[in-house]
Amino acid sequence: MSQRTERRGIHVDQSDLLCKKGCGYYGNAAWQGLCSKCWREEYQRVRQKQIQDDWALAEKLQREEEAAYASSHGVQTQSHAQSAAPHPGHASLGPFSKFEEKKTNEKTRKVTTVKKFFSPSSRTAPKKETQEGKTPSPSISRHASFDTDQVSKDFVDFLKNLQKPGREIHKQCRAFIVNMSSKKDLSADELSECVQDFYQSMADRLMSHFKGSSDSVEQVMDQVEKYIMTRLYKSVFCPETTDDEKKDLATQNRIRALHWVTIQMLCVSMDEEIPEVSENVVKAITDIIEMDSKKVPRDKLGCITRCSKHIFSAIRITKNEPASADDFLPALIYIVLKANPPRLQSNIQYITRFCNPSRLMTGEDGYYFTNLCCAAAFIEKLDAQSLNLSPEEFERYMSGQASPRLNSSEGDWPDAGLAHGVPAANPVLAQVNRNLELLSSLSSKQERLMEAAQSLQADLLSWPETVKREVNDILEKYPLEILSCTVSAIDANNMDNDNLPPPLTPQVFAG
Amino acid sequence: MAAGGAGGNSGGKTYSFKVVLLGEGYKLIIPPLPLQASFLTKKLNITGKRVNLAIWDTAGQERFHALGPIYYRDSNGAILVYDITDEDSFQKVKNWVKELRKMLGNEICLCIVGNKIDLDKDRHVSVEEAESYAESVGAKHYHTSAKLNKGIEELFLDLCKRMMETAQAEERLKGNGASQSASSRRGVQIVDDEPQATPAGGCCSSG
Repeated sequence: MSQRTERRGIHVDQSDLLCKKGCGYYGNAAWQGLCSKCWREEYQRVRQKQIQDDWALAEKLQREEEAAYASSHGVQTQSHAQSAAPHPGHASLGPFSKFEEKKTNEKTRKVTTVKKFFSPSSRTAPKKETQEGKTPSPSISRHASFDTDQVSKDFVDFLKNLQKPGREIHKQCRAFIVNMSSKKDLSADELSECVQDFYQSMADRLMSHFKGSSDSVEQVMDQVEKYIMTRLYKSVFCPETTDDEKKDLATQNRIRALHWVTIQMLCVSMDEEIPEVSENVVKAITDIIEMDSKKVPRDKLGCITRCSKHIFSAIRITKNEPASADDFLPALIYIVLKANPPRLQSNIQYITRFCNPSRLMTGEDGYYFTNLCCAAAFIEKLDAQSLNLSPEEFERYMSGQASPRLNSSEGDWPDAGLAHGVPAANPVLAQVNRNLELLSSLSSKQERLMEAAQSLQADLLSWPETVKREVNDILEKYPLEILSCTVSAIDANNMDNDNLPPPLTPQVFAG
Repeated sequence: MAAGGAGGNSGGKTYSFKVVLLGEGYKLIIPPLPLQASFLTKKLNITGKRVNLAIWDTAGQERFHALGPIYYRDSNGAILVYDITDEDSFQKVKNWVKELRKMLGNEICLCIVGNKIDLDKDRHVSVEEAESYAESVGAKHYHTSAKLNKGIEELFLDLCKRMMETAQAEERLKGNGASQSASSRRGVQIVDDEPQATPAGGCCSSG
């Protein structure tokens, strides 16, 4: 990763180009700034160290395992130990001349006995002591060996369930890895053939062992693939013998140059305005980017499958019906364009070369992987016609003279800027804008509410005053006059007698 | 290598086949199939043999035509559908057949399917023409009606049988047994091939 960021730099100092060892030759970023000669020395030292680490661990595990089996298979263990001892260390990774020597050695040794079969382990074992005092390998390889530690443990744990055959499988895998480490000068295709042949012979033997139960075979093969490819990853992923790296950069630049392609041009039936859809799109992008971080082909395929499933859900939510390949492929192309997955070509090549072929050919993972290959091929060959544009338009967009966003307000890239095309811009931005609008309307509402409350308070405060004033006004208008009134005494000589009605007198009615 | 890759020497052989749906036409017969996504696997049992069928939907739009080879690589069968009321669609099928035969030779089983037989009165592609064409290119012709759900199940069963025959013929040609075909598959011999074979014998007898 760090390598890549280095390479992206535009301003390069002359001295940066020279080999870091100071030998005077030009260095190369792909070789960590060393020249080819120094790199080979450095690389081989690191590789050797890692192989020894691996071997030390493998042996440790083997000892553990053998301890477990010791009771039932004591004799075999002994014979193994004996065969291990007498072989002096032919450096499996020594300089070239040694390598040739070893190769011929190996040919003569190719007498087929079980004993000889164990010889690979013996060849590297003694080297352990002689190399211990060497400079420590870079932290990357140490980190990698930590990963492989875990994988080896898992592998051994898994094989323990299989009893004796499990042990055979382990031995064969280890022998194969050692064998492969001596073949790193082969071309990528030849390496691929070695691995594929190994898968095939392993699968055939497992098939006869499990009496044709393909499920068990698959299970074991998955573990074998995981173990082997974790170990081999560093040497066979994007090997220096291929131009994978160059292709990676070309694809990366190509996707960058196509930054202006919109979801409408690809006729993708995904509506990113729907929050659930845009969530799925983001997840799909994350998954496809994550692919590069996995080591085992199957794990890489897993990332592609997860990415595809998210795309399918996005399309289903948008269209309200299951997606067909007609919808899926354009959507995948769109996701790849948006994600610009790191080392896309290398990853595709790696999976093609080293994945268990039965999975690639007929499995669901294989289907999605094939679609990813199609997407990559489409992007590589993409032209005006495939986007329904005129060649002139395409040229202008490619050269950066024009941007589709300026013509229509339907841009959809994050760097579209906030000035124009906001409504249909990146869904996240649109969402943010919507939220901002909502917030501002809320705050203005709150302000109005506060004003109203304050005026209410003022009203309340002034209310007693007004009431008082009104009361006063009324009081002033109608002043209270107390009229003096003379109360006449009832018994004062019937002064008002005349006013009283005459007393009732009985009347007689005729009849 | 392409066919029955997962098979062993034992009796319980399982065939794995990949079938691609190419062009735009196949969309005509898809609805009655339980095709919920663009990829479908079916486990079948044909004359006592287990068959795993993987059906691959492909993007049919014209602008993706160039991607065809990536899709149909390693496939055992291809289904090409035309509409019997539409002569253009038959022409497109012909183009696909030409391409497939050129790229994959005779190893792939081709199915040419005339759909919409319920609309026989509007037929624009005559039965004789279609069937004689299919025969001339070594394909087999089928009549289906997606609307009446007629002929589709038969189509897949028959295709499976044909693919099994092809696979068996190929096996006989290569000699019996996957191990032999494996070693003949590639020219490069790995140095440790033989030592590996020895423990395998042990693992057989033990199990």
